[in-house]
Amino acid sequence: MNLQSLILLSADVTVDKQGGFLGTLATGAEDFIKVFNKGGSVLLSLMGGILPTLIVLLTAVNALVRLIGAEKIENLGKAAARPGIQWYPVRYIILPFVAVFVLTNPMAYTMGRFLPERFKPAFYDSAVSFVHPILGIFPHANPGELFVYLGIATGIKQLGFGLGDLAVRYLLVGLVVIFIRGIVTEAITARMMKKVA
Amino acid sequence: MEGFNALIVKIGRGVGGVVGTLYQAGRDSVDTVIRNVIPFMAFISFVIGLILTTGIGDWIAKGLKGSASSLPGLLLISVVCAIPLISPLLGPGAVIAQIVGTLLGVEIGKGNIPAQYSLPALFAINPQVGCDFIPVGLALGEAEPETVEIGVPAVLISRLFTGPLSVVIAYFASFGLYSQK
Repeated sequence: MNLQSLILLSADVTVDKQGGFLGTLATGAEDFIKVFNKGGSVLLSLMGGILPTLIVLLTAVNALVRLIGAEKIENLGKAAARPGIQWYPVRYIILPFVAVFVLTNPMAYTMGRFLPERFKPAFYDSAVSFVHPILGIFPHANPGELFVYLGIATGIKQLGFGLGDLAVRYLLVGLVVIFIRGIVTEAITARMMKKVA
Repeated sequence: MEGFNALIVKIGRGVGGVVGTLYQAGRDSVDTVIRNVIPFMAFISFVIGLILTTGIGDWIAKGLKGSASSLPGLLLISVVCAIPLISPLLGPGAVIAQIVGTLLGVEIGKGNIPAQYSLPALFAINPQVGCDFIPVGLALGEAEPETVEIGVPAVLISRLFTGPLSVVIAYFASFGLYSQK
């Protein structure tokens, strides 16, 4: 089959719908190919709209992380291990943010190794909860799961709104949520550890 | 002459290093896009095509419209996703969250769900994030087996509280979002 006949097959037919067995078959075939035509046009708009930006952004951030060196953030991990209330924001906001930004999903969780055992579940909870809120502005951190954000964002785009407002709020609320999650999980972990000991 | 040579070598090495890094970064990103992003786009496009052309979209819309366009409905979704027995099942690859997100996106695009609810919805569909991955994630952080034993239920139980809470926070943070065109 050459290209032209493919186009003919997929083109909208304006003739009246046929009756009978063959007519039903023909209508069925048209409906069948319609699904994939629509899917194809969605795919094309996704690949044309987001993909080029994503590739360039990924390249830039990858290069930046390589030039700086991922090992530079280890000192931050050591600082976050300190006890005391003033280190909570470092442990459950700054460290997860930097870890997810620089190391990306799933290597970000390796930063937990600088923390004492009692903080590790809380840090994991905090870091893993941030791999989606970061996507609106820094999609390089978790490109495989982009559609958690992008699925909803596509709808907003269709309405003609800008995505900046949603992306920024998603990130900021995400930071608040991971902070709370870190504190709550740390408290629950402490309780359970006491019970076991 | 010696010093001049050394300088040229140094500059050459530096530039070569930077260019090599950039090139490698480009190779990595294209690799990621081809392996992880485009396959998912293909899959999502098929789902969207199916929703838009068949009647499936209509009854999904009916089901989602009630629950996704009010705070109690979103809270209900988040509580269900955060139940400790369900959350690890919903977790893997965030596939469920991505599909539900796409469905909601389609409905928001059609105007069935107010645009303002996009922010709380992002949190409502995702309290299970990473619940399937806790033992691996903790192992990456070099946690002891005892910590893993406590950490898994600790995170799962914590989600039961913080999941709905995140929806409430997002709901209040969404005031003024896309309220006028």
